[in-house]
Parts: sequence; C-alpha cells; structure tokens
Amino acid sequence: MSAEPWPEGVARHVLDTVDSTNAFAARLAPDLSGPAWIMAGLQTAARGRRGRAWSSPRGNFSATLILRPTERPEIVALRSFAAALALRDACVALTGLPDSFTLKWPNDVLLNGGKLAGILLESLGQGAQVQHLAIGIGVNLIAAPDPALVEPGALRPVSLLGETGLRITPTALLDALAPAYARWEQAFTTQGFAPLRNAWLAHAARLGEPIRARTGQTTRDGIFETVDATGALVMMTAEGRVAIPAAEVFF
Amino acid sequence: MSKQSTEADVAFIQALAELLNKNELTELSVKREYAEDDSLEVRVVKQANIVTTSVAAAPAVVTTASAPAAAAVPAVNDDPAQHPGAVTSPMVGTAYLAAEPGSTPFVSVGATVSEGQTLMIIEAMKTMNHIPAPRAGTVKRILVADGNAVEYGAPLMIIE
Repeated sequence: MSAEPWPEGVARHVLDTVDSTNAFAARLAPDLSGPAWIMAGLQTAARGRRGRAWSSPRGNFSATLILRPTERPEIVALRSFAAALALRDACVALTGLPDSFTLKWPNDVLLNGGKLAGILLESLGQGAQVQHLAIGIGVNLIAAPDPALVEPGALRPVSLLGETGLRITPTALLDALAPAYARWEQAFTTQGFAPLRNAWLAHAARLGEPIRARTGQTTRDGIFETVDATGALVMMTAEGRVAIPAAEVFF
Repeated sequence: MSKQSTEADVAFIQALAELLNKNELTELSVKREYAEDDSLEVRVVKQANIVTTSVAAAPAVVTTASAPAAAAVPAVNDDPAQHPGAVTSPMVGTAYLAAEPGSTPFVSVGATVSEGQTLMIIEAMKTMNHIPAPRAGTVKRILVADGNAVEYGAPLMIIE
C-alpha cells in the first residue's frame, strides 16, 4: 500500500508514558503554533466519556490531536465525524478490509460490529470562541476490555488483532491516521460538513434500523433515519421525528 | 448595533430559523455580544404543531421576532437569560454539572469562581465543551440540572 506522507505543519510527539493524552495536550496547548498529535505508549489515567475508565494496555493506540479551531462551538463539535472517518480510513488502509469497518453515531468505529475504538473530544471555549479542541482517540489494536466490564447493553469490545489476526503497531496507525485526519479536516474547513456527512452515512451501521438513544434519564427508541446538517442523530420515534444532539446510542 | 452589521444580523437570524426547523426545536433565543453596549438578542419561535406524521413535508411556520438590543426588551423581566450575570449556552447539547456521574460538581451556588474556571460541560456529538466563567464572581444561581438538554443561548448560571 502506498502510505500517505505525514501532514505538513502538524507536530508529532511520541511519548512513552503519560497520565492522559488529552490532559497532556491541554497542558501543551498554550505553547503550540499549529496542530499536534500526541501519542503515548501507555496512559496511566486514561479516561473515557463521562469519566469512564478506558483500558489501554501497551500495544493499544492512545493519542490526542490538538487543534485551535476558529468556528463556533457547535461547528467545532462536527470534528467528531472527521475523527471517526479518519480512523476508519486508516484502519481500512492498514488492513485492506473496507467492509469490516462501520460507524456508530457520532464517532464510534466498529469492527465486525464490535467496539474497536473510543473517541472523546474536549473543547475549552470562552463565549462563542473555542480556545482549543483535543481529539482523544483510543484503539484496541491488540487487546479489548473484558466484555464483563463494559456497561450492560454496550457493544461487544473487540480488538483489531482478535478480529483480524493482524498486528498493527501504534506508530503505524498514527502515521496512517494523521494524514487521513488532515484530509477530512481540509474537506471540512473548505467544503463544510456535507462531504463528511455523506461519507459518514455511507459507512453508518444500522441505518434504517431500530436503535435506542439515551440522553441523561431519557431513553428513546426509534428508527435511525439519518444524521442532519447539524450532525444531530435523527430518529423516527412513536412520538414523531426527533433530532438529538447528545446521546449514547445502543443497538 | 452599527448599521453595517444589519445585513449580517439578518443572515444570522435566517440561520437560526433554519436551525429551528432542522432540530425540531420550538424556540431559540440567542444573545450575541459584539462589544460593550453593542449586542443583538434574537428569539425565534415556531408554532408548536410540528409533531405530526408528516413532519418532513410540513414546512414549519417560523415567526422571526428580532430587533436590535434596544427594541428586544423581553415581555418577562425576570427571564434569567436577560440577567446581566447570565452565562448562556453556546450550543445545543446536554449539560453536565460534574466531570463524571457521582463526582463533586464543578461549582455550587455560593461558590467563588475565577475567570476561566470551568462551570460545567455541554456535550454535543461526544464533544465535551468546557464552559468557563466569563468573569470572576460568585455563583448566584444554577439554572440547569445535571443531564438537562439545553438550547442555544439557554441561561446556565448567574454569576455576579
């Protein structure tokens, strides 16, 4: 396969051990002149969404891309889709298995229908201005968490090695992911959300099928219809069509 | 508000009306600060008859109520969104008052906060937006509960 070159103007930091790549990125942010990838061999205080523990043994991928976007916060948040698309592209490029990787709203990359990766974006903003955005990406390259440890109803955790027998190193993934992300970032900043939305929908899991979306204490069941122009999940429920900007999705 | 910005304001209000339609919202209110004593407040309201079996085909009725700040005095004066100490949501999403379920909230009523300190998180599309205190002060009111859905411009807290 012909590897894409590392994107111009993007810094590359590879660390042995760090507390959390997102936390490290936030500390680094004030000194950065451009985007930077921070990858760590091991995170000692890895976090998932809403403080969930994120298991990442050495050999799995843990990295954060830090950016200084200039759009309004709701536009900045659409990079959730750019990150998922980039990770899917990188996985496909490294494995040659385009049909094995699908997407779950908004940014989960699935392998054979199981949860391969976790992406968590954190932004710090002042009023309408975002100061920086940290896109944290964890990928189960060689090991997945014990299914007994994940939330009931959550997808089966899978690893790339376990599902495909392929052993991809974190560095190889970083070198495929960074140019893939740069391509989606370029598409997003020049053409807006439309190309991301189209590509995302082309690889979406369970489109047109029943899903469950949970936001806070509210759980809604419905048919997954689409993702709208603002990135919201659109479901047809018994009460009518709803567009949901934040939720956990269950299949 | 300067005359030059009128066109931009009209475009902004149109964008809000489109957002309202796309998101099944019934109301949006936004305050834009351009500078000191120069702001735009917009409230866009849709007639609440949209939950029908033919939502996609039904062009929602949008009444666009907008005016420069001076004319946009709300009918209800105790609207926390109009409070000078209000911190409003920059986006549609879900509010979280603590970093994780069960942990100590970022701030509580009566707490002293410094400028830039995280007050809460608004999540949309797995993006956790830290909402910093726009200024130092005391948390007078917290207007949302943990896990609440919030809209653009929704008042989150009063800081004085």
